Amino acid sequence: MENIDGGFAPEKGGAATRSGFSFDRGWLLVIAVVLTITALIVSRPDPFKRIFFFVQDGIWVTISVTVISFLLMLITGLIVALLRLTKSAFIKAVATSYVEIIRGIPLLVQLLFWYFAFPTVIQSIGKALRFSLFENYLANPVAMAVVGLTFCYSAYMSEVYRAGIQSISKGQMEAARSLGMSYVQAMRYVILPQAVRVILPPVGNEFISLLKDSSLISVVAVADMTRRGREFMAANFIPIETWVMVALLYLIMTLVAARVVHWIEIKTRLEK
Amino acid sequence: MEDPIIHIENVVKHFDKVAALRGISLDIMRGEVVVIIGPSGSGKSTLLRCINRLEEYDEGLIVVDGIPLNSAENINTVRTEVGMVFQQFNLFPHLKVIDNITLAQRIVRKRPKAEAEKQAYDLLEKVGIPDKAQAYPWQLSGGQQQRVAIARALAMNPKIMLFDEPTSALDPEMIQEVLDVMLNLAKEGMTMVVVSHEMGFAKAAADRAILMDEGYIIEEALPEVLFTNPKHERTKLFLSKVL
Repeated sequence: MENIDGGFAPEKGGAATRSGFSFDRGWLLVIAVVLTITALIVSRPDPFKRIFFFVQDGIWVTISVTVISFLLMLITGLIVALLRLTKSAFIKAVATSYVEIIRGIPLLVQLLFWYFAFPTVIQSIGKALRFSLFENYLANPVAMAVVGLTFCYSAYMSEVYRAGIQSISKGQMEAARSLGMSYVQAMRYVILPQAVRVILPPVGNEFISLLKDSSLISVVAVADMTRRGREFMAANFIPIETWVMVALLYLIMTLVAARVVHWIEIKTRLEK
Repeated sequence: MEDPIIHIENVVKHFDKVAALRGISLDIMRGEVVVIIGPSGSGKSTLLRCINRLEEYDEGLIVVDGIPLNSAENINTVRTEVGMVFQQFNLFPHLKVIDNITLAQRIVRKRPKAEAEKQAYDLLEKVGIPDKAQAYPWQLSGGQQQRVAIARALAMNPKIMLFDEPTSALDPEMIQEVLDVMLNLAKEGMTMVVVSHEMGFAKAAADRAILMDEGYIIEEALPEVLFTNPKHERTKLFLSKVL
Protein backbone atom coordinates (compact mmCIF):
# COMPACT_ATOMS: atom_id res chain seq x y z
CA MET A 1 0.00 0.00 0.00
CA GLU A 2 3.06 2.22 -0.24
CA ASN A 3 1.58 4.58 -2.81
CA ILE A 4 -1.99 5.17 -1.72
CA ASP A 5 -0.69 5.78 1.76
CA GLY A 6 0.58 9.06 0.37
CA GLY A 7 -2.56 10.82 1.55
CA PHE A 8 -0.68 12.17 4.52
CA ALA A 9 2.55 12.92 2.68
CA PRO A 10 3.03 16.19 0.84
CA GLU A 11 2.98 15.92 -2.92
CA LYS A 12 6.42 15.68 -4.41
CA GLY A 13 7.12 18.42 -6.87
CA GLY A 14 3.57 19.73 -6.56
CA ALA A 15 2.79 22.18 -3.80
CA ALA A 16 6.32 22.04 -2.39
CA THR A 17 8.06 23.51 -5.41
CA ARG A 18 5.29 25.98 -6.13
CA SER A 19 5.90 27.66 -2.79
CA GLY A 20 9.62 27.83 -3.55
CA PHE A 21 12.14 28.92 -0.96
CA SER A 22 10.64 32.29 -0.13
CA PHE A 23 11.87 33.36 3.28
CA ASP A 24 9.23 33.24 6.00
CA ARG A 25 9.51 36.65 7.71
CA GLY A 26 8.09 35.20 10.91
CA TRP A 27 11.56 33.85 11.62
CA LEU A 28 12.85 37.42 12.09
CA LEU A 29 10.93 37.66 15.36
CA VAL A 30 12.38 34.32 16.48
CA ILE A 31 15.87 35.61 15.75
CA ALA A 32 15.14 38.84 17.61
CA VAL A 33 14.07 36.92 20.73
CA VAL A 34 17.11 34.63 20.56
CA LEU A 35 19.37 37.70 20.26
CA THR A 36 17.63 39.36 23.23
CA ILE A 37 18.18 36.29 25.42
CA THR A 38 21.81 36.03 24.31
CA ALA A 39 22.38 39.72 24.89
CA LEU A 40 20.94 39.52 28.40
CA ILE A 41 23.06 36.49 29.28
CA VAL A 42 26.25 38.01 27.88
CA SER A 43 25.77 41.55 29.19
CA ARG A 44 24.56 40.58 32.66
CA PRO A 45 25.64 36.99 33.44
CA ASP A 46 24.55 37.67 36.99
CA PRO A 47 21.60 37.12 37.29
CA PHE A 48 20.53 36.15 33.72
CA LYS A 49 23.05 33.37 33.11
CA ARG A 50 22.33 31.98 36.60
CA ILE A 51 18.60 32.04 35.95
CA PHE A 52 19.04 30.34 32.59
CA PHE A 53 21.08 27.49 34.01
CA PHE A 54 18.75 27.15 36.99
CA VAL A 55 15.58 26.75 34.85
CA GLN A 56 17.38 24.74 32.15
CA ASP A 57 16.18 21.31 33.31
CA GLY A 58 12.68 22.76 33.56
CA ILE A 59 12.84 23.58 29.84
CA TRP A 60 13.15 19.89 29.03
CA VAL A 61 10.34 18.98 31.40
CA THR A 62 8.06 21.55 29.75
CA ILE A 63 8.96 20.38 26.25
CA SER A 64 8.63 16.66 26.97
CA VAL A 65 5.35 16.93 28.89
CA THR A 66 3.91 19.11 26.11
CA VAL A 67 5.08 16.87 23.28
CA ILE A 68 3.97 13.61 24.93
CA SER A 69 0.56 15.03 25.86
CA PHE A 70 0.18 16.43 22.36
CA LEU A 71 0.95 13.12 20.65
CA LEU A 72 -1.52 11.32 22.93
CA MET A 73 -4.29 13.85 22.35
CA LEU A 74 -3.84 13.63 18.58
CA ILE A 75 -5.05 10.04 18.92
CA THR A 76 -7.63 10.42 21.70
CA GLY A 77 -9.05 13.60 20.16
CA LEU A 78 -9.61 11.77 16.87
CA ILE A 79 -11.30 8.87 18.66
CA VAL A 80 -13.65 11.23 20.51
CA ALA A 81 -14.44 13.09 17.26
CA LEU A 82 -15.27 9.84 15.45
CA LEU A 83 -17.46 8.71 18.36
CA ARG A 84 -19.34 12.01 18.15
CA LEU A 85 -19.96 11.42 14.44
CA THR A 86 -21.36 7.86 14.82
CA LYS A 87 -24.97 7.04 14.16
CA SER A 88 -25.48 5.51 17.61
CA ALA A 89 -27.29 8.08 19.72
CA PHE A 90 -25.93 6.58 22.95
CA ILE A 91 -22.25 6.70 21.95
CA LYS A 92 -22.75 10.17 20.56
CA ALA A 93 -24.32 11.32 23.84
CA VAL A 94 -21.47 9.88 25.92
CA ALA A 95 -18.79 11.53 23.75
CA THR A 96 -20.67 14.84 23.65
CA SER A 97 -21.11 14.85 27.44
CA TYR A 98 -17.40 14.24 27.90
CA VAL A 99 -16.56 17.22 25.70
CA GLU A 100 -19.12 19.51 27.35
CA ILE A 101 -18.12 18.55 30.89
CA ILE A 102 -14.38 18.86 30.32
CA ARG A 103 -14.72 22.21 28.58
CA GLY A 104 -16.76 23.50 31.49
CA ILE A 105 -14.14 22.87 34.17
CA PRO A 106 -10.96 24.94 34.50
CA LEU A 107 -7.81 23.07 33.52
CA LEU A 108 -6.16 23.97 36.83
CA VAL A 109 -9.00 22.34 38.77
CA GLN A 110 -8.73 19.24 36.58
CA LEU A 111 -4.97 19.01 37.18
CA LEU A 112 -5.50 19.36 40.94
CA PHE A 113 -8.07 16.55 40.77
CA TRP A 114 -5.76 14.20 38.88
CA TYR A 115 -2.84 14.81 41.25
CA PHE A 116 -4.55 15.05 44.64
CA ALA A 117 -7.94 13.33 44.34
CA PHE A 118 -7.47 10.60 41.75
CA PRO A 119 -4.81 8.62 43.74
CA THR A 120 -7.06 8.66 46.80
CA VAL A 121 -9.92 7.28 44.71
CA ILE A 122 -7.68 4.47 43.45
CA GLN A 123 -6.46 3.71 46.97
CA SER A 124 -10.03 3.52 48.31
CA ILE A 125 -11.00 1.14 45.54
CA GLY A 126 -7.90 -0.91 46.35
CA LYS A 127 -8.87 -1.08 50.02
CA ALA A 128 -12.43 -2.05 49.20
CA LEU A 129 -11.28 -4.81 46.83
CA ARG A 130 -8.20 -5.75 48.93
CA PHE A 131 -6.08 -5.27 45.82
CA SER A 132 -2.64 -4.29 47.08
CA LEU A 133 -1.41 -2.78 43.80
CA PHE A 134 -4.19 -0.17 44.01
CA GLU A 135 -3.97 0.17 47.79
CA ASN A 136 -0.36 1.33 47.61
CA TYR A 137 -0.86 3.49 44.54
CA LEU A 138 1.16 6.70 44.58
CA ALA A 139 0.73 9.42 42.00
CA ASN A 140 3.67 10.16 39.76
CA PRO A 141 3.47 13.94 39.25
CA VAL A 142 4.70 13.91 35.66
CA ALA A 143 2.42 11.03 34.67
CA MET A 144 -0.60 12.71 36.31
CA ALA A 145 0.26 15.99 34.59
CA VAL A 146 0.34 14.23 31.21
CA VAL A 147 -2.96 12.47 31.96
CA GLY A 148 -4.58 15.72 33.09
CA LEU A 149 -3.44 17.73 30.07
CA THR A 150 -4.36 14.96 27.63
CA PHE A 151 -7.77 14.37 29.19
CA CYS A 152 -8.64 18.04 29.00
CA TYR A 153 -7.15 18.91 25.62
CA SER A 154 -8.60 15.82 23.90
CA ALA A 155 -12.01 17.45 24.29
CA TYR A 156 -10.85 20.61 22.50
CA MET A 157 -8.92 18.61 19.94
CA SER A 158 -11.98 16.48 19.14
CA GLU A 159 -13.85 19.65 18.22
CA VAL A 160 -11.07 20.62 15.84
CA TYR A 161 -11.14 17.19 14.20
CA ARG A 162 -14.92 17.22 13.99
CA ALA A 163 -14.96 20.59 12.25
CA GLY A 164 -12.28 19.35 9.86
CA ILE A 165 -14.11 16.15 8.98
CA GLN A 166 -17.40 17.98 8.52
CA SER A 167 -15.76 20.54 6.26
CA ILE A 168 -15.08 17.83 3.64
CA SER A 169 -17.97 17.75 1.17
CA LYS A 170 -20.49 14.92 1.57
CA GLY A 171 -19.81 13.91 -2.01
CA GLN A 172 -16.36 12.63 -1.02
CA MET A 173 -17.80 10.09 1.39
CA GLU A 174 -20.51 9.15 -1.13
CA ALA A 175 -17.98 8.65 -3.92
CA ALA A 176 -15.82 6.48 -1.68
CA ARG A 177 -18.77 4.41 -0.46
CA SER A 178 -20.14 4.01 -3.98
CA LEU A 179 -16.81 2.43 -4.93
CA GLY A 180 -17.43 -0.22 -2.28
CA MET A 181 -15.19 1.17 0.46
CA SER A 182 -16.29 0.63 4.02
CA TYR A 183 -16.90 3.64 6.28
CA VAL A 184 -13.53 3.08 7.96
CA GLN A 185 -11.67 2.78 4.65
CA ALA A 186 -13.35 5.91 3.33
CA MET A 187 -12.35 7.80 6.49
CA ARG A 188 -8.80 6.50 6.42
CA TYR A 189 -8.01 7.01 2.72
CA VAL A 190 -10.34 9.78 1.57
CA ILE A 191 -11.74 11.96 4.35
CA LEU A 192 -8.97 12.19 6.95
CA PRO A 193 -6.11 12.95 4.52
CA GLN A 194 -8.12 15.96 3.36
CA ALA A 195 -9.36 16.93 6.82
CA VAL A 196 -5.82 16.88 8.23
CA ARG A 197 -4.82 19.65 5.83
CA VAL A 198 -7.82 21.74 6.81
CA ILE A 199 -7.19 21.44 10.54
CA LEU A 200 -3.43 22.07 10.52
CA PRO A 201 -3.69 25.73 11.60
CA PRO A 202 -6.12 25.09 14.50
CA VAL A 203 -4.12 22.04 15.59
CA GLY A 204 -1.04 24.24 15.63
CA ASN A 205 -2.93 26.68 17.82
CA GLU A 206 -3.89 23.88 20.20
CA PHE A 207 -0.22 22.88 20.46
CA ILE A 208 0.79 26.44 21.30
CA SER A 209 -2.02 26.79 23.90
CA LEU A 210 -0.97 23.48 25.40
CA LEU A 211 2.63 24.62 25.62
CA LYS A 212 1.55 27.71 27.53
CA ASP A 213 -1.05 25.92 29.68
CA SER A 214 1.57 23.35 30.65
CA SER A 215 2.86 26.03 33.06
CA LEU A 216 -0.14 25.08 35.26
CA ILE A 217 1.44 21.72 36.05
CA SER A 218 3.93 23.63 38.19
CA VAL A 219 1.29 23.58 40.98
CA VAL A 220 1.14 19.78 41.01
CA ALA A 221 4.77 19.16 41.89
CA VAL A 222 6.20 18.97 38.38
CA ALA A 223 9.53 20.80 38.07
CA ASP A 224 8.74 22.51 34.77
CA MET A 225 10.08 25.87 33.64
CA THR A 226 7.55 27.87 35.66
CA ARG A 227 8.17 25.92 38.85
CA ARG A 228 11.94 26.28 38.47
CA GLY A 229 11.39 30.01 38.03
CA ARG A 230 9.42 30.14 41.27
CA GLU A 231 12.13 28.19 43.07
CA PHE A 232 14.77 30.59 41.83
CA MET A 233 12.61 33.50 42.92
CA ALA A 234 12.17 32.08 46.39
CA ALA A 235 15.92 31.77 46.86
CA ASN A 236 17.06 35.03 45.26
CA PHE A 237 14.09 37.33 45.18
CA ILE A 238 14.75 39.11 41.90
CA PRO A 239 11.26 38.89 40.34
CA ILE A 240 11.74 41.14 37.30
CA GLU A 241 14.80 39.35 35.93
CA THR A 242 13.45 35.88 36.73
CA TRP A 243 10.06 36.28 35.09
CA VAL A 244 11.43 38.20 32.09
CA MET A 245 13.80 35.29 31.45
CA VAL A 246 11.07 32.65 31.87
CA ALA A 247 8.69 34.63 29.66
CA LEU A 248 11.34 34.94 26.92
CA LEU A 249 11.97 31.20 27.04
CA TYR A 250 8.25 30.44 26.60
CA LEU A 251 8.07 33.00 23.84
CA ILE A 252 10.90 31.44 21.86
CA MET A 253 9.21 28.03 22.07
CA THR A 254 5.79 29.25 20.96
CA LEU A 255 7.24 31.34 18.15
CA VAL A 256 9.27 28.42 16.82
CA ALA A 257 6.21 26.16 17.05
CA ALA A 258 4.17 28.69 15.07
CA ARG A 259 6.82 28.80 12.35
CA VAL A 260 6.97 25.01 12.10
CA VAL A 261 3.16 24.81 11.77
CA HIS A 262 3.26 27.48 9.08
CA TRP A 263 5.94 25.55 7.19
CA ILE A 264 4.03 22.25 7.32
CA GLU A 265 0.90 24.07 6.18
CA ILE A 266 2.63 25.37 3.05
CA LYS A 267 4.22 22.00 2.34
CA THR A 268 0.89 20.17 2.38
CA ARG A 269 -1.32 22.81 0.80
CA LEU A 270 -3.76 21.56 -1.84
CA GLU A 271 -4.72 23.54 -4.90
CA LYS A 272 -8.47 23.91 -5.22
CA MET B 1 -37.88 -13.67 -20.33
CA GLU B 2 -34.73 -13.40 -18.26
CA ASP B 3 -34.66 -11.87 -14.80
CA PRO B 4 -34.10 -8.12 -14.55
CA ILE B 5 -30.69 -7.02 -13.22
CA ILE B 6 -32.41 -4.27 -11.22
CA HIS B 7 -35.80 -4.96 -9.74
CA ILE B 8 -37.56 -2.08 -7.99
CA GLU B 9 -40.89 -2.76 -6.33
CA ASN B 10 -43.15 -0.20 -4.71
CA VAL B 11 -40.30 1.87 -3.30
CA VAL B 12 -41.33 4.71 -1.04
CA LYS B 13 -38.98 7.31 0.39
CA HIS B 14 -39.61 10.33 2.58
CA PHE B 15 -37.27 13.13 3.59
CA ASP B 16 -38.70 14.06 6.96
CA LYS B 17 -42.32 14.67 5.93
CA VAL B 18 -41.72 15.37 2.26
CA ALA B 19 -42.36 12.40 -0.02
CA ALA B 20 -39.56 11.91 -2.56
CA LEU B 21 -40.66 8.56 -4.01
CA ARG B 22 -44.31 7.45 -3.82
CA GLY B 23 -44.30 3.83 -4.84
CA ILE B 24 -41.89 3.34 -7.72
CA SER B 25 -41.81 0.01 -9.57
CA LEU B 26 -39.32 -0.52 -12.34
CA ASP B 27 -37.43 -3.44 -13.88
CA ILE B 28 -34.22 -2.91 -15.78
CA MET B 29 -32.80 -5.68 -17.95
CA ARG B 30 -29.19 -6.66 -18.37
CA GLY B 31 -27.55 -4.46 -21.00
CA GLU B 32 -30.41 -2.00 -21.05
CA VAL B 33 -29.82 1.77 -21.10
CA VAL B 34 -32.53 3.74 -19.32
CA VAL B 35 -32.70 7.52 -19.24
CA ILE B 36 -34.72 9.23 -16.53
CA ILE B 37 -35.89 12.80 -16.99
CA GLY B 38 -38.09 15.05 -14.93
CA PRO B 39 -38.24 18.41 -13.16
CA SER B 40 -35.99 19.02 -10.16
CA GLY B 41 -37.48 17.56 -7.01
CA SER B 42 -39.21 14.83 -9.01
CA GLY B 43 -37.27 12.11 -7.17
CA LYS B 44 -35.15 10.94 -10.11
CA SER B 45 -31.80 11.42 -8.32
CA THR B 46 -33.24 9.92 -5.15
CA LEU B 47 -34.31 6.81 -7.07
CA LEU B 48 -30.81 6.48 -8.52
CA ARG B 49 -29.24 6.88 -5.08
CA CYS B 50 -31.55 4.25 -3.65
CA ILE B 51 -30.22 1.70 -6.16
CA ASN B 52 -26.80 1.71 -4.48
CA ARG B 53 -28.25 2.61 -1.12
CA LEU B 54 -26.67 6.05 -0.76
CA GLU B 55 -30.21 6.79 0.36
CA GLU B 56 -32.22 4.32 2.38
CA TYR B 57 -35.79 3.77 1.24
CA ASP B 58 -38.64 3.48 3.72
CA GLU B 59 -40.81 0.87 2.04
CA GLY B 60 -40.64 -1.55 -0.86
CA LEU B 61 -37.87 -3.69 -2.25
CA ILE B 62 -34.85 -3.25 -4.49
CA VAL B 63 -32.98 -6.29 -5.79
CA VAL B 64 -29.74 -5.74 -7.69
CA ASP B 65 -28.31 -8.69 -9.60
CA GLY B 66 -30.19 -11.10 -7.36
CA ILE B 67 -29.07 -9.41 -4.13
CA PRO B 68 -31.76 -7.70 -2.05
CA LEU B 69 -30.59 -4.37 -0.58
CA ASN B 70 -31.55 -5.07 2.97
CA SER B 71 -28.47 -5.85 5.02
CA ALA B 72 -25.15 -4.16 5.60
CA GLU B 73 -23.08 -6.94 4.01
CA ASN B 74 -25.28 -6.94 0.94
CA ILE B 75 -24.86 -3.22 0.48
CA ASN B 76 -21.08 -3.37 0.19
CA THR B 77 -21.32 -6.30 -2.24
CA VAL B 78 -23.85 -4.44 -4.34
CA ARG B 79 -21.80 -1.25 -4.31
CA THR B 80 -18.81 -3.04 -5.83
CA GLU B 81 -21.12 -4.19 -8.66
CA VAL B 82 -22.67 -0.78 -9.23
CA GLY B 83 -20.57 2.15 -10.40
CA MET B 84 -21.79 5.68 -9.84
CA VAL B 85 -20.92 8.95 -11.55
CA PHE B 86 -21.93 12.19 -9.84
CA GLN B 87 -22.88 15.62 -11.09
CA GLN B 88 -20.01 17.18 -9.11
CA PHE B 89 -17.46 14.49 -10.18
CA ASN B 90 -16.33 13.99 -6.56
CA LEU B 91 -12.79 13.07 -7.48
CA PHE B 92 -10.46 12.76 -4.51
CA PRO B 93 -8.56 16.09 -4.64
CA HIS B 94 -5.58 14.89 -2.58
CA LEU B 95 -4.79 12.02 -4.98
CA LYS B 96 -3.40 12.00 -8.49
CA VAL B 97 -5.63 10.74 -11.30
CA ILE B 98 -3.89 7.36 -11.29
CA ASP B 99 -4.37 6.98 -7.52
CA ASN B 100 -8.00 8.08 -7.77
CA ILE B 101 -8.55 5.13 -10.10
CA THR B 102 -6.44 2.55 -8.24
CA LEU B 103 -7.42 3.32 -4.62
CA ALA B 104 -10.65 1.32 -4.44
CA GLN B 105 -9.26 -1.44 -6.66
CA ARG B 106 -6.46 -1.98 -4.18
CA ILE B 107 -8.25 -1.65 -0.86
CA VAL B 108 -11.63 -3.12 -1.86
CA ARG B 109 -10.77 -5.53 -4.68
CA LYS B 110 -7.31 -6.24 -3.14
CA ARG B 111 -5.66 -6.08 -6.55
CA PRO B 112 -1.86 -5.86 -6.66
CA LYS B 113 -0.49 -2.44 -7.53
CA ALA B 114 0.73 -3.39 -11.03
CA GLU B 115 -2.59 -4.93 -11.98
CA ALA B 116 -4.57 -1.97 -10.66
CA GLU B 117 -2.38 0.48 -12.56
CA LYS B 118 -2.64 -1.50 -15.76
CA GLN B 119 -6.42 -1.37 -15.42
CA ALA B 120 -6.24 2.38 -14.72
CA TYR B 121 -4.08 3.12 -17.78
CA ASP B 122 -6.33 1.00 -20.01
CA LEU B 123 -9.38 2.93 -18.80
CA LEU B 124 -7.70 6.32 -19.18
CA GLU B 125 -6.94 5.27 -22.75
CA LYS B 126 -10.58 4.37 -23.20
CA VAL B 127 -11.86 7.73 -21.92
CA GLY B 128 -9.30 9.52 -24.03
CA ILE B 129 -6.90 11.06 -21.50
CA PRO B 130 -4.00 8.58 -21.09
CA ASP B 131 -1.54 11.46 -20.60
CA LYS B 132 -3.26 12.76 -17.44
CA ALA B 133 -2.42 9.87 -15.13
CA GLN B 134 0.05 11.88 -13.05
CA ALA B 135 -2.05 15.05 -12.87
CA TYR B 136 -4.07 16.17 -9.88
CA PRO B 137 -7.83 16.69 -10.35
CA TRP B 138 -7.53 20.48 -10.06
CA GLN B 139 -5.22 20.49 -13.09
CA LEU B 140 -7.97 19.04 -15.31
CA SER B 141 -10.95 20.63 -17.05
CA GLY B 142 -14.45 19.69 -15.91
CA GLY B 143 -14.94 17.33 -18.84
CA GLN B 144 -11.65 15.61 -18.14
CA GLN B 145 -12.51 15.29 -14.45
CA GLN B 146 -15.82 13.67 -15.27
CA ARG B 147 -14.09 11.23 -17.63
CA VAL B 148 -11.67 10.31 -14.84
CA ALA B 149 -14.68 9.79 -12.56
CA ILE B 150 -16.17 7.42 -15.14
CA ALA B 151 -12.85 5.55 -15.40
CA ARG B 152 -12.67 5.36 -11.61
CA ALA B 153 -16.10 3.74 -11.45
CA LEU B 154 -15.35 1.37 -14.35
CA ALA B 155 -12.10 0.25 -12.69
CA MET B 156 -14.14 -1.81 -10.25
CA ASN B 157 -15.62 -3.78 -13.18
CA PRO B 158 -19.21 -2.93 -12.29
CA LYS B 159 -22.14 -4.67 -13.93
CA ILE B 160 -24.27 -1.54 -13.74
CA MET B 161 -23.39 2.14 -14.11
CA LEU B 162 -25.49 4.90 -12.59
CA PHE B 163 -25.10 8.45 -13.89
CA ASP B 164 -26.55 11.28 -11.80
CA GLU B 165 -26.76 14.32 -14.11
CA PRO B 166 -23.21 13.69 -15.36
CA THR B 167 -23.09 16.71 -17.67
CA SER B 168 -25.11 19.28 -15.70
CA ALA B 169 -22.07 20.87 -14.05
CA LEU B 170 -20.07 21.08 -17.29
CA ASP B 171 -19.42 23.96 -19.63
CA PRO B 172 -21.34 23.40 -22.89
CA GLU B 173 -18.24 22.69 -24.96
CA MET B 174 -17.24 19.84 -22.66
CA ILE B 175 -20.55 18.00 -22.59
CA GLN B 176 -19.99 16.07 -25.80
CA GLU B 177 -16.68 14.52 -24.74
CA VAL B 178 -18.39 13.01 -21.71
CA LEU B 179 -21.42 11.89 -23.71
CA ASP B 180 -19.12 10.19 -26.23
CA VAL B 181 -17.58 8.10 -23.48
CA MET B 182 -21.07 7.18 -22.27
CA LEU B 183 -22.21 6.31 -25.81
CA ASN B 184 -19.29 3.93 -26.24
CA LEU B 185 -20.08 2.34 -22.92
CA ALA B 186 -23.71 1.82 -24.01
CA LYS B 187 -22.54 0.25 -27.27
CA GLU B 188 -20.40 -2.21 -25.33
CA GLY B 189 -23.53 -3.47 -23.61
CA MET B 190 -23.16 -1.90 -20.16
CA THR B 191 -26.37 -1.67 -18.16
CA MET B 192 -26.85 2.04 -17.55
CA VAL B 193 -29.32 4.17 -15.64
CA VAL B 194 -28.84 7.80 -16.57
CA VAL B 195 -30.52 10.80 -15.01
CA SER B 196 -29.99 13.44 -17.66
CA HIS B 197 -31.84 15.82 -19.92
CA GLU B 198 -29.46 15.25 -22.82
CA MET B 199 -32.01 14.32 -25.47
CA GLY B 200 -29.29 13.60 -28.01
CA PHE B 201 -27.77 10.95 -25.80
CA ALA B 202 -31.18 9.49 -24.95
CA LYS B 203 -32.15 9.17 -28.61
CA ALA B 204 -28.81 7.73 -29.66
CA ALA B 205 -28.24 5.27 -26.85
CA ALA B 206 -31.26 4.70 -24.64
CA ASP B 207 -33.60 1.74 -24.93
CA ARG B 208 -36.17 3.43 -22.74
CA ALA B 209 -36.89 6.90 -21.42
CA ILE B 210 -38.81 7.58 -18.25
CA LEU B 211 -40.43 10.77 -17.03
CA MET B 212 -40.72 11.19 -13.28
CA ASP B 213 -42.65 13.88 -11.43
CA GLU B 214 -43.47 14.33 -7.76
CA GLY B 215 -42.19 10.89 -6.85
CA TYR B 216 -44.16 9.00 -9.51
CA ILE B 217 -43.21 7.47 -12.83
CA ILE B 218 -45.52 9.39 -15.15
CA GLU B 219 -44.65 7.85 -18.47
CA GLU B 220 -42.16 5.44 -19.95
CA ALA B 221 -41.57 4.81 -23.63
CA LEU B 222 -38.98 4.56 -26.36
CA PRO B 223 -36.96 7.79 -26.27
CA GLU B 224 -38.11 8.90 -29.73
CA VAL B 225 -41.71 8.40 -28.69
CA LEU B 226 -41.38 10.05 -25.29
CA PHE B 227 -39.60 13.12 -26.65
CA THR B 228 -41.61 13.64 -29.83
CA ASN B 229 -45.03 12.21 -29.16
CA PRO B 230 -45.72 11.91 -25.44
CA LYS B 231 -49.11 10.69 -24.26
CA HIS B 232 -49.23 12.39 -20.92
CA GLU B 233 -50.03 16.07 -20.39
CA ARG B 234 -47.37 16.44 -17.74
CA THR B 235 -44.71 15.04 -20.06
CA LYS B 236 -45.75 17.52 -22.75
CA LEU B 237 -45.60 20.37 -20.26
CA PHE B 238 -42.16 19.38 -19.02
CA LEU B 239 -40.75 18.87 -22.51
CA SER B 240 -42.09 22.23 -23.64
CA LYS B 241 -40.00 23.83 -20.92
CA VAL B 242 -36.72 22.04 -21.54
CA LEU B 243 -36.73 21.75 -25.33
